[in-house]
Amino acid sequence: MTASAATGASAGPRRFLLRGHAVRRGLSPLVVAALLIVVAVIVCAIAGPAIAPHDPNAQDLATGISGPSSEHWLGTDDLGRDVLSRTIVGARTAVVGPLLVALGAMLIGNLLGLLAGYRGGTLDTLVSRYADLVYALPALLVAIVVVGVVGGGYFVAVALLVVLYSPVDTRLVRSATLVQRSQPYVEAARVSGIPSRRIIFAHLWPNVLPIAVANAFLTFAFSIVSLAALSFLGLGVGPGTADWGRMLSDSRTLLFDNEWTALAPGIALVLTAASVNVVGDWVFERLSDRGRVR
Amino acid sequence: MSGLLEVRGLHIASAAGTIVDRLDLDLAAGETIGIVGESGSGKSLTAKAVIGLLPPGVDATGSVRFDERELLATSERQLRRLRGAEIALMLQDPFTMLSPLMRVGRQITETIRDEDGRRLSRSAARVEAASRLAEVGIHDPAVADRYPYQLSGGMRQRVGLAAALASDPRVLIADEPSTALDVTTQREILRLIRSTQDRRGMSVILVTHDLRVAFSFCERIYVLYAGALLETATAQALEDQPLHPYTHGLLTSEPPLSRRVAKLEAIPGSVPAAEAVLGECAFAPRCAWVESVCRAERPALREIAPQRLTACRRIDAIAPELVVSLPPAAARVAAANGMEPVVRIRDLAKSFGATYALDGVSLDIAPGASVGLVGESGSGKTTLARCLVGLERPTGGVVEIDGTDVTDYDALSARERDEARRAVQIVFQDPYSTLNPARTVGFTLSEAVRRSAAGRAERSRSVTELLELVGLSRSFAARKPAALSGGERQRVAIARSLALRPKILICDEPVSALDVSVQAQILNLLGELNERLGLGYLFITHDLAVVRQVTETLHVLHDGRVVESGPTEQILGAPAHAYTRSLIASVPQSNATWLAPVAP
Repeated sequence: MTASAATGASAGPRRFLLRGHAVRRGLSPLVVAALLIVVAVIVCAIAGPAIAPHDPNAQDLATGISGPSSEHWLGTDDLGRDVLSRTIVGARTAVVGPLLVALGAMLIGNLLGLLAGYRGGTLDTLVSRYADLVYALPALLVAIVVVGVVGGGYFVAVALLVVLYSPVDTRLVRSATLVQRSQPYVEAARVSGIPSRRIIFAHLWPNVLPIAVANAFLTFAFSIVSLAALSFLGLGVGPGTADWGRMLSDSRTLLFDNEWTALAPGIALVLTAASVNVVGDWVFERLSDRGRVR
Repeated sequence: MSGLLEVRGLHIASAAGTIVDRLDLDLAAGETIGIVGESGSGKSLTAKAVIGLLPPGVDATGSVRFDERELLATSERQLRRLRGAEIALMLQDPFTMLSPLMRVGRQITETIRDEDGRRLSRSAARVEAASRLAEVGIHDPAVADRYPYQLSGGMRQRVGLAAALASDPRVLIADEPSTALDVTTQREILRLIRSTQDRRGMSVILVTHDLRVAFSFCERIYVLYAGALLETATAQALEDQPLHPYTHGLLTSEPPLSRRVAKLEAIPGSVPAAEAVLGECAFAPRCAWVESVCRAERPALREIAPQRLTACRRIDAIAPELVVSLPPAAARVAAANGMEPVVRIRDLAKSFGATYALDGVSLDIAPGASVGLVGESGSGKTTLARCLVGLERPTGGVVEIDGTDVTDYDALSARERDEARRAVQIVFQDPYSTLNPARTVGFTLSEAVRRSAAGRAERSRSVTELLELVGLSRSFAARKPAALSGGERQRVAIARSLALRPKILICDEPVSALDVSVQAQILNLLGELNERLGLGYLFITHDLAVVRQVTETLHVLHDGRVVESGPTEQILGAPAHAYTRSLIASVPQSNATWLAPVAP
């Protein structure tokens, strides 16, 4: 048979399928909105000080707390600091910590999950029991105790959350690996004499990645809220830092003078966490579509 | 005979385009018709459209008249009353068509109502279930209390039939009722449908991809291809003289059981989507007789003899050429006499817990030889293949490759393991999962040559060579498996297994998941590779006709034991063992006795 005939005949139906998916899974308004919010937050995290209309830490004790005005769109807090500027700059701690947690947990989880799932045996038992053990710990409570007792602030909290969230990734990746391991394409690779390490990382991992990435977005959203909660309790960033959780905590007494001191960081927190979830779902669908077979 | 079901201009489409284009179909009371087509022909959706069970997003227009009622205009509510009671559907997969959490008896009696339209009482339902099961040949009433997972595939298919027949329908639509079953079970199920039909005067629409099954079971046959009806005729007339190039192609690419042929005539290419060939004859892109007239517009079916319609415009000119002659070829003889076998298996045993998958199997494979291994599901044939390449560890016996004991791959040194892998490679059955979905064909192949080819340039040259070896252009290297047809994927899988230049290739059902027209391409490819590279095969299959075409020696495996071995022609011509005889008898034949009820 000629290859070109085969090409022409088979390209038709596949292209159709793909087009159908594109229509169904295209950018819905919700995804577009979520993407815009995520991009805006990332821009603020990178270039916050440059964008902010005022120095976020410049105090103006003479003004003190004030409501929204043309000079301060979201008003000022009790030290006369610009709420809008602080919210913009606060994006940095809101993004950096969760990003580290998500990536760290994904790295550890993928490594342990792939090895445990592929090798099986004692290694699998050890990894799984370890994951169960850590899984059983209430993450936030452990973080509160450790950071409260040991101290160390934000980055100790981040490191703790990496360890405490990684069992979720480990379990997910392990079970996805178990499914892939018995697929004929993996067995064919084994029969070809490809070394296990290469099978795991070059052949199997790309097929597990979509679910790992999707979960990383979830971890990210969880950690935004967790780190903000720690900051709220005074266990995260240092006092005076522009941070959403910290701002929420500081604004408790200011609610009746300028409600935006609480609303601005609160809304930013909720919108970011929700948007990251939506974007995560979307990325997962896109990724798992790539290799769709039937 | 009066028309019971009359389909006119049925058009099925989804958002992605046309799936079935202007289909006409008639079914008389008590008649048996077959809708035959390869994957993507629209045969299953046609069957579902008749009883209004199309999936969401797929719509049918046109006319479906059943007993003076227009079904396409009938409300879902009324259709629901019609389904099961008047027209019943029996589905393909015995493993998913029954609810796993419901006892078998209840699944059968679920739809049955007494004269007053009430559900049956518990005791009446028991009696009813027992009698329904008896009708499909299950005489043990205790089966009614079992769950589907406790039954074999054949038993489940019987239960499915009993459930479909529960409300005494006038029409039974059977969608590939025997495809997932072993040949011997297939014959039992078809026999069962036939005897029920005779008893009740029921009409049957059999949807199948298997022409042999259709010829043996149906009175009239509709040949469907890429959503278009190409030919319809009585089964006998169609078998004697196809009057469409596609039907002709199907018949010539179908390997006969009765003899070995020199080369199967494969239809080039693969089945297109219906939407891609609208506005021309659906078969034009693959037809050897195509002319501009075929491409100008979609030809309509026209009557050229009583009960005989074809959509081929050029039939008057080409009819004399459409002869199905597959001249017999000389039997393949084991040529490698005297040469040391590459693979030597002695008393191989493999048990999973208390059950034996393999129990004392011995066989040899010489270089360049083609050895067949036939057996039904559960016979242990796949386990044997997996033991040979180290994917399973045997629990007894010896496997030697080139004189080295490889019974336990894990105990081998790295060099020994490499040598064993260089000697013996494997091609798996399912073309859909055999390739890494996340990686390109080029990546998959270059991984396979990593050990032998150093450097990027040499690797990419090896990949091109491998692709050309299996008849694919180098452009395939950039594609992902999802963009390939089943036949193309299987070619890539063969290319991968050839990367280490093995002496023996184990083919585990390499064509059973492919369309007939594509199956012949792959079988011919394997034949060519045998001649060009001197490649030897262990060919594992359940299909005796295929085994006759490609092997010299044959081993018949039953319950983990070899019950008969010898030259293929001799075993198929004069089987000595009862099991071999029953296997051969199970291959569909188009004579009246094949489906005749067995004498009690």
